[in-house]
Amino acid sequence: MTSSCCDEFAALAGGLTRRGLFRGLAGATAAVTTTTAIGGAFMSTSYAATPSAPAVLVVLSMRGAVDGMSLVVPHADPVYYAARPRIAVPSSKLLAKDAFFGLHPDLAPLLPWWNAGSMAAVHATGLPAPNRSHFAAIEAVEDADPGSAARIGWLNRLIGRDSVDDPLQAVQLGDSVLPASLLGPEPAVAVDRVESMVLAGADRWDTHGRRPQSMSTMWADAAGPLGVGARSAMKAIADFAPVRASSPTPANGAVYPDGDLGASLASAARIIRGDIGAEVITIDTGSWDHHVDLGTLEWGQMQRMTKELAGALAAFLTDLGPLTSKVSVVTLSEFGRRTRENANYGLDHGYGNVMLLLGAGVVGGYHGRWPGLVNDVDGDLLVTTDYRSVLSEVVVGRLGASSAQVFPGFQPESVGVIAPASP
Amino acid sequence: MATSPPPARAARRAVLTGAAAGVGAVLARPGAALAAPDVRGYPATPVPDAATWHGIRRFTAGYTPALRAQVAEAGGFDAWFARQLDGSYDDAWYETTSRWWFSVNADAATVWQRDRADVESLWWADANYQSWAMVRRFGSQRQVLEAMAELWEHHLHVTAQGAVGPFRTPYGKEIRKHALGRFSDLLEAAITHPAMSVYLGNANSTKSAPNENLGRELLELHTVGVGQYDETDVKNSARLLTGFKVGIWTTWATSYDPNAHWTGPVRVMGFSHPNSDPDGRAALSAYLRYLARHPATARRVARKLAVRFVSDTPSDALVDDLAAVYADHDTDISAVLLALVASAEFKAAADAKVRTPPEDVVATYRALGVELTGRPTGLGDETAANTMLWQAQRIGAKPFDWPRPDGRPDTAAAWSSTSRFLASLDIHSTMSGGWWPEQGARYREPVDWLPSAPSGAATASADPAVPAAGEAPLVVARPKKDKKKKKKKKKRKPPAPPPATPQAPDPVLPEPPAEPQPPTTPVASIRFDELVDHLCRTMLGQPVAPTMLQAACEAAGCAPTDVITSQHRIVAWEMPRLLTVLLDSPLHMTR
Repeated sequence: MTSSCCDEFAALAGGLTRRGLFRGLAGATAAVTTTTAIGGAFMSTSYAATPSAPAVLVVLSMRGAVDGMSLVVPHADPVYYAARPRIAVPSSKLLAKDAFFGLHPDLAPLLPWWNAGSMAAVHATGLPAPNRSHFAAIEAVEDADPGSAARIGWLNRLIGRDSVDDPLQAVQLGDSVLPASLLGPEPAVAVDRVESMVLAGADRWDTHGRRPQSMSTMWADAAGPLGVGARSAMKAIADFAPVRASSPTPANGAVYPDGDLGASLASAARIIRGDIGAEVITIDTGSWDHHVDLGTLEWGQMQRMTKELAGALAAFLTDLGPLTSKVSVVTLSEFGRRTRENANYGLDHGYGNVMLLLGAGVVGGYHGRWPGLVNDVDGDLLVTTDYRSVLSEVVVGRLGASSAQVFPGFQPESVGVIAPASP
Repeated sequence: MATSPPPARAARRAVLTGAAAGVGAVLARPGAALAAPDVRGYPATPVPDAATWHGIRRFTAGYTPALRAQVAEAGGFDAWFARQLDGSYDDAWYETTSRWWFSVNADAATVWQRDRADVESLWWADANYQSWAMVRRFGSQRQVLEAMAELWEHHLHVTAQGAVGPFRTPYGKEIRKHALGRFSDLLEAAITHPAMSVYLGNANSTKSAPNENLGRELLELHTVGVGQYDETDVKNSARLLTGFKVGIWTTWATSYDPNAHWTGPVRVMGFSHPNSDPDGRAALSAYLRYLARHPATARRVARKLAVRFVSDTPSDALVDDLAAVYADHDTDISAVLLALVASAEFKAAADAKVRTPPEDVVATYRALGVELTGRPTGLGDETAANTMLWQAQRIGAKPFDWPRPDGRPDTAAAWSSTSRFLASLDIHSTMSGGWWPEQGARYREPVDWLPSAPSGAATASADPAVPAAGEAPLVVARPKKDKKKKKKKKKRKPPAPPPATPQAPDPVLPEPPAEPQPPTTPVASIRFDELVDHLCRTMLGQPVAPTMLQAACEAAGCAPTDVITSQHRIVAWEMPRLLTVLLDSPLHMTR
């Protein structure tokens, strides 16, 4: 407190103590006694206390339900070509072909990681029962707790497994709305971009730290999600200092493609390099809801978006350099798309899908059990691997979590896509 | 999710009810005797009664003193609300502002030709519409109609991102026509509109390979909801919708093609139809009327309204009651709204909702008493009427920009993230200083935030340090803006703006939504606590609460008893810091 005014206020108003108002803001309370010029007092204290994250999980949600059979093509299943006379990816164009699968040619930027054995595809994954509603399905995927009415996402349970109570333990990038996977009792932050993590008004004219002090007072006891969000935001500003101070130029010559996905992954790399304790980073990319104009290799949404996806992921892994040894990326969608194409060079809602994994601990190559396609109007790729079995291997093998805690009531099957944690 | 009001708020409401009782009571804390007899409010600045304050925050774009006067003139909130529903208030603002952007009043063919001719891209036409929607909310005398038009545009969501061609603006206008009428008519107008048809893939869907997207979302999102239908219902729903054609990316001409319509008996849930006519539009109409009247639709519509206007988690009892009104009144929306407003649950739910980003922006303009002084002169110019849109985007969402067909979420959890919170603070800060936008907006001068000197005998304060009652007020020159602090915020520019477009001449200046301000003289001096209370009453329609007063003291470095004159640094150059305190409060960020 730098001014006597507030003591006077307390005396006048009666019973209003600052101690009470600062409840829940211990870090910030200590900070307001300093008079750091730029950025305000919030930034001066607590990041030293932020634990480093030994492993980082990046969850890339491919919203809208990506067509997994375009990304990872089952070229040896004859139904694939029969059902998609116009939009199938020709077998001759596929990359990293084995006897059954091949990669979409626009995934080419990722081939170095594929060839090095640090990229994997698990096909025919998904929810245990079909659900073709985007909104109900993504909710089910992200809750990952069927039968429970509690709206707690699997990533919220993951970060809740330890005693760390730092909102920066999980960061959503590029979107101001938290995904359902992060909803729950554990705080998490949604950050549009690194540069936006500042408190407006806590500038070099605010020489007495009045601005952060005033905001702490205002929001200390505010109820509801907005109050929680406000307090998380003010703490996160402080803890984000090392990231803000880092260079915005990607390392190792990495070049991200233009667009939101590249920008979000570039921010993710800065956050990981800043080592501020973020162990979960979520990014949404989409929409992959290609009822119309999924198109061919020459035109349409699929080739354009696949190029962007592969370019952004390749830049991210390049940018991280040696840090990839602690970072695992996994992609998710609410469901896959129909086997048979529709009248609009597109695909309607289907069922089974592919999950891609990259980085630390990944056992490269094609995984999963192929059920065989059926060529009728309802033809779906069936699910032979519950998506939770894949995620379970990641959280157990990479983050040392208990599968039962993150996926209540679920018995995972072995997929073999993550190398077992070394004892 | 905030369902029950926090104790502090309940206390404030209780205090509010008795606000007329006196200055000291304003700042009294519950359970404490008046320990602070010296903390003063400024009751000369009127605030609405609690019910009015709550009602107008829910159904308008934000409190203004003019709105308080309008409600009072109508005879109270209920009478005002009835007048809002029956269309008594004039619609001049809608008509006038529609002429601010050429594309808003152009037909679809013209909009498309302008895109082809590189005069104005479809993307810009969408942005114009989105800006107009915010401007409408800002200044309309038909606040309830505009609120409902927006709600339905989110319920029957068609994203404003160029993908639906030149149809987005006509779609919004069509929705507004039905916004207070029957849901049945609204549904049919929306589902058969080319904008919806293009957005959800129904345009050019054929009988041999129907595109299921609209058929499915019609059931899931627009009417009965998940759990009411199966996959066969989805297929039949899609079949009933076949036949509509749009010349996508060519002429955008619309037509109905009986050769593309799937014929044959259909059943969707309890609906069946022979559907034997190659022109399937009558069958579709019967199907949509069935869906609109389905009990599950009644509940979903009732819940949608309750979540928007009551709380994030309305009770099942309220939803049931509203659904019954909906059914009893043949899907009449106004009837449901009247029942909603009359419910005890509505009355008990003050400030339980978090404002969405566009709502925050518009409410900030209103709270600051900003006037829109000019129409845009070119694409993406820096006029406030355009800038509002980029301000909303910076906070996290432009209107109708949600990327998925379910429309933007409407709960506190969705709009309470770090990113949203900090971005809102940034917008509040730049607007408090009048730094962004600079064009097409008239901000109050700092000295205008002092209350006007009473014409009668009493001044605001009896403090000995303050000029005595009746003393001539100090007349001051308005201080210049503090140039050194002026900063221009960089906004995210849309890609490659085409050259400026010719605009139809329209000399009409917008009517300011605030009541005309007669020339006034500011008080010579006022205590800091009185000033903050006056600001809170003017901007937010409420007496100041102790926490906010303390925050204001801390932000300004002032004691409650400090005497503020027009020469004081707070007025001379630190007013933005003080105004920001009020905008950054839970009171402003909720509704």
